[in-house]
Amino acid sequence: MVEAGTVQAIEVTINGEKHEATVPARQLLVHFLRDSLGMKGTHIGCDTGSCGACTVIVDGRLTKSCMMLAAQADGAEIETIEGVAQNGELTPVQKAFHEQHGLQCGYCTPGLVMAATFLLRRNAEPTEEEIRRAIRGNICRCTGYMNIVKSIASAAGEAA
Amino acid sequence: MTTTAPTETPLETGRYVGQNVPRVEDRRLLQGQGEFADDVWMHRQGYAHFVRSPHAHARIVSIDVRRALELDGVYAVLTGAEAKEMCQVPFFQIAPEPAGQIEEYPLAVDKVRYHGDAVAVVLAETRELARDAAGLVDVEYEPLPAVVDTVAAAEADAPLLHEQVGTNVAWHGTYDWGDIDWALENADHVVEIDRLHFHRFSSTPLECNGAVVNWDPGTDTVTVSSNNQMPMFASMVIGPTLGVPSNRLLFNTRDIGGAFGIKIGSYPQIAALALLSRKAGRPVKWTEYRTDHMLSAGHGNERVFLDTKVAVMRDGTILGFKTRAFDDAGGYLHYEPLGAVIWSQVCCGCYRFKHIQVDYTETLTNKCPTVPNRGYSRLQHLWLIERIVDIVAHELGFDPVALRKQNYVQPDDYPYETPNGCVYDSGDLPRSLDIALELIGAERWRQRQRELGRGSGKRIGIGIGSTLDSGTNNFGQARIINPELPFSGNGEAAYVKLDLYGEVNVNLGTTPQGQSHETTAAQVVADVLGVSHEMVHVTAGFDQRNNTYVAFSGTYASQFAVTGLAAAQGAAEKLRKEIVELAAFALQADADEIEIEDGTCYVRSDRERAIPFIGIANLVYSNNAVLPMELRDRYSLNCRHVYVPPFQVPDPAAKRGNLTLTYASQIHACVVEIDEETGEVAILEYAAVDDCGRRINPKIVEGQVHGATALGLGAALYEAFEYDEDGQLQQASFYDYHAITALDTPEIKTADIESPSPFTPNGAKGMGEGGGAPLHAICSAIQDALSDEDAVVSDSHNPWERVWRLVHSGERGEPRGVVVSSRDGGESVSSRDGS
Amino acid sequence: MLLESVAYARPESVAEALQALGATDGAAPLAGGQSLVNVLKHRVAQVELLVDISRLEELRRIEAGADGSLEIGACVTYDELDRSEEVRASHPLLAEVAGHIEDQQIRCRGTIGGNCCLSDPTNNLPPLVVALDATMVIESSAGRREVPAREFFHGYFSTAVGEGELLRSIRIPPLGAGAGAGYSTVAVGADSKAIARAAAVVRANGTIEEARVVLACVSPAPLRHAGMEEALRGSEPTADAVSHAAQRIGDDLEPLGDVHGSAEYRRAMARVVARRAVLQAIGKGGSERG
Repeated sequence: MVEAGTVQAIEVTINGEKHEATVPARQLLVHFLRDSLGMKGTHIGCDTGSCGACTVIVDGRLTKSCMMLAAQADGAEIETIEGVAQNGELTPVQKAFHEQHGLQCGYCTPGLVMAATFLLRRNAEPTEEEIRRAIRGNICRCTGYMNIVKSIASAAGEAA
Repeated sequence: MTTTAPTETPLETGRYVGQNVPRVEDRRLLQGQGEFADDVWMHRQGYAHFVRSPHAHARIVSIDVRRALELDGVYAVLTGAEAKEMCQVPFFQIAPEPAGQIEEYPLAVDKVRYHGDAVAVVLAETRELARDAAGLVDVEYEPLPAVVDTVAAAEADAPLLHEQVGTNVAWHGTYDWGDIDWALENADHVVEIDRLHFHRFSSTPLECNGAVVNWDPGTDTVTVSSNNQMPMFASMVIGPTLGVPSNRLLFNTRDIGGAFGIKIGSYPQIAALALLSRKAGRPVKWTEYRTDHMLSAGHGNERVFLDTKVAVMRDGTILGFKTRAFDDAGGYLHYEPLGAVIWSQVCCGCYRFKHIQVDYTETLTNKCPTVPNRGYSRLQHLWLIERIVDIVAHELGFDPVALRKQNYVQPDDYPYETPNGCVYDSGDLPRSLDIALELIGAERWRQRQRELGRGSGKRIGIGIGSTLDSGTNNFGQARIINPELPFSGNGEAAYVKLDLYGEVNVNLGTTPQGQSHETTAAQVVADVLGVSHEMVHVTAGFDQRNNTYVAFSGTYASQFAVTGLAAAQGAAEKLRKEIVELAAFALQADADEIEIEDGTCYVRSDRERAIPFIGIANLVYSNNAVLPMELRDRYSLNCRHVYVPPFQVPDPAAKRGNLTLTYASQIHACVVEIDEETGEVAILEYAAVDDCGRRINPKIVEGQVHGATALGLGAALYEAFEYDEDGQLQQASFYDYHAITALDTPEIKTADIESPSPFTPNGAKGMGEGGGAPLHAICSAIQDALSDEDAVVSDSHNPWERVWRLVHSGERGEPRGVVVSSRDGGESVSSRDGS
Repeated sequence: MLLESVAYARPESVAEALQALGATDGAAPLAGGQSLVNVLKHRVAQVELLVDISRLEELRRIEAGADGSLEIGACVTYDELDRSEEVRASHPLLAEVAGHIEDQQIRCRGTIGGNCCLSDPTNNLPPLVVALDATMVIESSAGRREVPAREFFHGYFSTAVGEGELLRSIRIPPLGAGAGAGYSTVAVGADSKAIARAAAVVRANGTIEEARVVLACVSPAPLRHAGMEEALRGSEPTADAVSHAAQRIGDDLEPLGDVHGSAEYRRAMARVVARRAVLQAIGKGGSERG
């Protein structure tokens, strides 16, 4: 039993690296990533869990990191945007976004890369409808989603 | 015709302009390495949280900060009264008297005027503590009656927002060109539209406002690291208020997560943060959260048009119209009342109307202040015009396509002078419309519509939205609002240099928020210098210390392709001249024998004689004794250029002038299917045809078209800011404000025409805002699906319930909202309405 | 956005969870958090202690009974419901509804228990579990008790789960031979907040023998519309008969008006979605397994 407390000791693995920390129980996971660990790639765009800018993958589940307490992530394996490219080598998803002009201001982009990565792990050949459903939880105000859908479809095609 | 396929041909050096050069911004953004406002951090900083009014209109009786200060970790609290004491003068007002009497300070003093108006700001050690402490600031309010209707606010008995002004009318004027009364008297038909309403919404950039502001006591300098998109305007307003001169009020921006005009309005908060920093002796870090953003960052203009009368000839020629417009500025004037003239850049829209009269009133109401949301002020007027054309077609039985084409400005008319002296530079509207209709398969759908008939429970509607994106403002139009204002013209600055080792560096005065300035400026500069675009480094973001700005610097109003890129081009041309002349000296040749290839200068006839850029740089930077005396003074390799468009000062009395340099167009067409039982609207087809002159990077242009389309569709069907009668904002977060998602957005087909502008150095036109074509197209499509007995579509926002009411309005015998009077052979006048 | 100070505990068993919930005033269970964390962000509830039950294995099982019934642990996520072979086999509509709740991120964490216990009138699952005649299994330190779904929901954030209790699982009986389930929504946007919603289960054998018509969004709790159900019983399973029965929905309803729909519109839409849900249920009746 993790005893009740307003402060919790946690151990999380982020992009393969272990971190130990003491967090206020009320701290959101996104603030833990950004403020405590200085990982600025995960963004905040709203305060109702609606926009998906904070999307990461926790224990294999696509997760809005603003909708989870850091304390809940104890023992979890978290993937963030910082861990996607390996040694600066972009993944097919990232390359596809670049080639298809799937980003403009870039603020929604980390969340979308995580959502796209998650989708393609589950479904290597998504239809357009499936792609749009998969990213419904990620708001973009710049692109109108057209090139984002093309990017993900292109990445799926590449991997095939 | 469409540019939806990625380019497959390799990029050609010297010809980057016009090609789909992939973006240099992507590498950092795709890896989460962008640097946005909340990523900035300063040693010793405190976190700020604003205390905001829960009331739309109230007197501030008292503010007690003791409980907040008692909290461990709270550094300081600043109230409005204190802020006023620390300020030299209230914020500069654009409005003439009496609205020029408005006294606005960085925080509300004595009164709050909208739900969300900031009364105090707290600084604390952590974000959470600042928020906790804000909840401990005890404010006693005496609520006052609120006025939330823009028309009602103009009445003499309306609750007064700013007592010293004596009225809620921020501005009033009558625009009158041609002779509309004559036109109405002599027209074959007069179509009278009761009321049209353009609703309040916002582009809600995904990144909210944010800043780190530091009033450094050592140097008495205020640095502002923020995502404000018009930093020099902000500086000009808050500098005098704070008592800080321009050269000690230093703005910088980095990556900005979308702005769309909303981030012009953050200057009051930035001023409050500066005062807080001064008081607390610490840097102040502010993260705006979404609810605060919805309440207070700024909304787009809401506009009501009453008693619109349109003069139409038998053959379909629309002579013109008159209307009474009421625009809703909100509780304070932030950038308003400029909107009261900005619309006149497109006074006749896409059409050749000759007689236009607009009685324009701008009122203050107990709502969030208006800011220049994407399409600023033109959106609303263009929507009015498209509704006029659409309703005229519907009522008088004209084919909506033919009526538009007949009345459009024709390809041969350009450059076309509008009734108020604006000059439309180029375009081909009829062809754009044809392409849009072809893309949606309009003929086929018209057939389907006929076959569908009635009784299936579904209705098909085909709609058209014609719009212009006027770009590169002449700020002299501010004088039409207030003749005392010393503003005119426009411009942007750029700085292109060779650095110590011959690297090419570009600084811009712009604050891009996704418009790909680093990439497109590199394309332009690379072409001028004859280098690979990868050799050109464009500094990310804006920094005042780069000394590359004018008062108009920033990124807004669809002008970068003209002003920013012309500045970059001019600076690059200056630099090229220096490089060539230095090379000529070094290679002992004439300047006209020198050619540049891939960063090396060659003598054309003898390529063995060459000097690379690193050698040129060496001559000037670290080896200048080898230069003859007369050359040492002449060259710096640091070339700055300000592009100034060829504007004149407009005529405030006649309200005439050339108000914008370029006019891009977007013609949209769509097919919708309406569920009669529920009012739900499904978009079956959507096409956008864009003409922004010469495209610097077609794929980037297309991306802007997609984005503007989705935001327009969002506003048309899903997004609105509405206030109840007590002035409470009903959509204060994304929970209630439904920002359009990937699942709501249809496939957007695009096509482009390039009608180069004769007025710009590169033939490009500014674009990006769009002109709200989706709003016009959706209204038009819904209208097309309605019967002759149904009401006219009179609101820009059509969620399901409103459409449901429209579809059943005829059978319920509701007023149609339109009256048609027709002259029959000059004798009898017949009238057709549903009231 | 920023939470008030709160305590957090993570028990390792349902028994520990119940103890923690019972021991502290203002303790609340935290499952997926996809609603509760929002409530906390906006500081609209007084929660002193969050008891994290999301990892309790006992609450995460889906068990299929030999008779075609399903027992679903309260902490099963929407995503797990969508992808579960058992759920798809015996209650495909539940899988489909769960698979369209909001978005993938919310589906990966949001739970059926949380959806039911939040009891927001616009939530997706409460009307469906009522239509399916589910049984809600509630556990406390004193033991387990069962509450029919139709008595479980009281209003927003108010259900039959009391202080010191936890919703443990939801047991859904098989549909039965000749029965089908239907579900219809008018929402603000795709897969978004409901403006009007109905769930229905209809069993027909020549004529309609049994009908359960549940309206959401028109009252604090999901409402079984007795009038429409009565009109359906004994009628032919035809579109006309169903339309006629739907006319029973009218001024007996007092829905709230808000920015997404006026009371008048919600009342009219209630009729529409009820009709559509029933037609859907009838259409599927033949092919649904019992």
